[in-house]
Amino acid sequence: MDINLIKKKRFNHGYLYILPTLFFMVGLIIYPLGRGLYISSYKTDLIKRWDFVGLENYISILTNKQFYSSILLTVRFTIIVVAGHFILGFILSHLLNKKIKGIAFFRAILILPWIIPESVIAMIFKWLLNPLYGLVNQTLMSFSIISEPVSWLGNGSFAFVAVVMACIWKGFPMIMVMLLAGLQSINQDLYEAADIDGATGIRKFIHITIPSLKGVIYTALILDLIWWFKHYTIVWVLTQGGPGAATSLISIDIYKRSFEYFEFGAGSAVAIIVFTIIYVIKFLMERGFKINADD
Amino acid sequence: MQMTETNSKLKSMVTYIVLICLSAFVLVPILWMVSTAIKTEAETFSLPLRWIPENPSLQAFKRIIVEYPFGTQLLNSFINATASTVATLICATLAGYGITRFNFKGKKVFMSFLLVSQMFPAVMLLVPFYTILRRFNLINSHAGIVFVFISMSLSFSTWMMSSFFNDIPRSLDEAATIDGCSRFQVFYKVIMPLTLPGMISVAIYAFIMGWNDFLFSSTLITQDKMKTLTVGIAEFSGQYNVLWNDLMAASIVASIPLIILFAFLQKYFISGMTAGAVKQ
Repeated sequence: MDINLIKKKRFNHGYLYILPTLFFMVGLIIYPLGRGLYISSYKTDLIKRWDFVGLENYISILTNKQFYSSILLTVRFTIIVVAGHFILGFILSHLLNKKIKGIAFFRAILILPWIIPESVIAMIFKWLLNPLYGLVNQTLMSFSIISEPVSWLGNGSFAFVAVVMACIWKGFPMIMVMLLAGLQSINQDLYEAADIDGATGIRKFIHITIPSLKGVIYTALILDLIWWFKHYTIVWVLTQGGPGAATSLISIDIYKRSFEYFEFGAGSAVAIIVFTIIYVIKFLMERGFKINADD
Repeated sequence: MQMTETNSKLKSMVTYIVLICLSAFVLVPILWMVSTAIKTEAETFSLPLRWIPENPSLQAFKRIIVEYPFGTQLLNSFINATASTVATLICATLAGYGITRFNFKGKKVFMSFLLVSQMFPAVMLLVPFYTILRRFNLINSHAGIVFVFISMSLSFSTWMMSSFFNDIPRSLDEAATIDGCSRFQVFYKVIMPLTLPGMISVAIYAFIMGWNDFLFSSTLITQDKMKTLTVGIAEFSGQYNVLWNDLMAASIVASIPLIILFAFLQKYFISGMTAGAVKQ
């Protein structure tokens, strides 16, 4: 009887504590999501026109080439950017884990890109890549690598490279710090035992470091993939998706459909398709890692 | 012995070289921003380019406050980021405690929803937010944008807080209860103060999210007097003649608050970035 009473009381209290969060989640995520689903079945400019079209938005998107090229571009962008983050992050986390002089100084510098606002980063890169007075062109010309100024953001493939570089620059510190924290939480006894057994550096890396870091790598990879798959700001400020559609990532596509062409229904439909893709990727990766972990 | 010593010397040489190269990769854009900001307008457009300006001046910083609306935008950024940080922190702290200390129906659903909500493309919520804020007349208001920021940072913050609360032994709760604390007192006076480092990390995370936001601030705010710094800087480029020294000065001003925060609270930044990731 008494225990039951206490239990009952506990129930109520628990809800009280999560109530504010729950309120915001329902009001600001679940409700908007439902709203987005609703809008996606209309042809609408949100003001006068509200024509119910059912699944027509989805069908016309999924049968249109432009959508697939935008998705492919986003996949390519995401893979290159995330790979860049992990290559830099991996190298740097190992170097920063060494106990040598000045390491705190290097760490402080290397984290800086994470702190600087994205729109600021985009503007800095825009200035660096300025055709006439940009540091990049002037430096390349002074070393005679190029003979005349290159319009980096005016050429499709160059613009893609430029955007990728800016995004790698912005995002690697996050991976670096996550991996570093993972490295520091590895039990040092493991390495000592391996030393006694005469293991080489590479073997220690394969058999101790990598398995211990698996959880961190998984989380970092998921977060980074999701984060950059839906990236918007740097690319938008740098190129607005152009020239042509050279850097038109899926987020930019959603934005343009909604706020430039005022096809809010189609924009919402793309958004929902993208969410589904992200969810499937996450699900598959979870599976993959679990199967690996069972070995 | 001799061999290993030269070997390790060589290794640390290589380490330094790689660190210096990659630090340069990070520093060149930042230093170029600073160098441009203290140049005169004529010098930003003169060749050859110089790293150290001929006549360094802080005029650009003065101009951005006097001639441009950056002062207002700075204030707006502060209001939006601070208000959303406070609200996020209160909600996340309460929820983190509730999740780790109570059992209730739907807890699992709640937790997994926190994770799933990380996957929504921000753009996906943009249109719904736009319609909702418009309906409640919150377009161009601090309140509207603050609500949006809360929704963006709250789920990860709650997740972080619950991992911090998890680290505090339950025996402390019991001891405090025995000492005569009420339920809320246990939370407020005993357990919450112990998670202060975690709360600082969450606050920093939420503040950065709000301060750096561009997508929502640029869409849900159309009135000039409500615009924030990140948007103001990006819109600079839409104008025909960009004064790069002024723009870079504004960029520095937009970055400084976070860099100062970082300088003093580095360790919380890092634990904020890695919370939940490492402990899994």
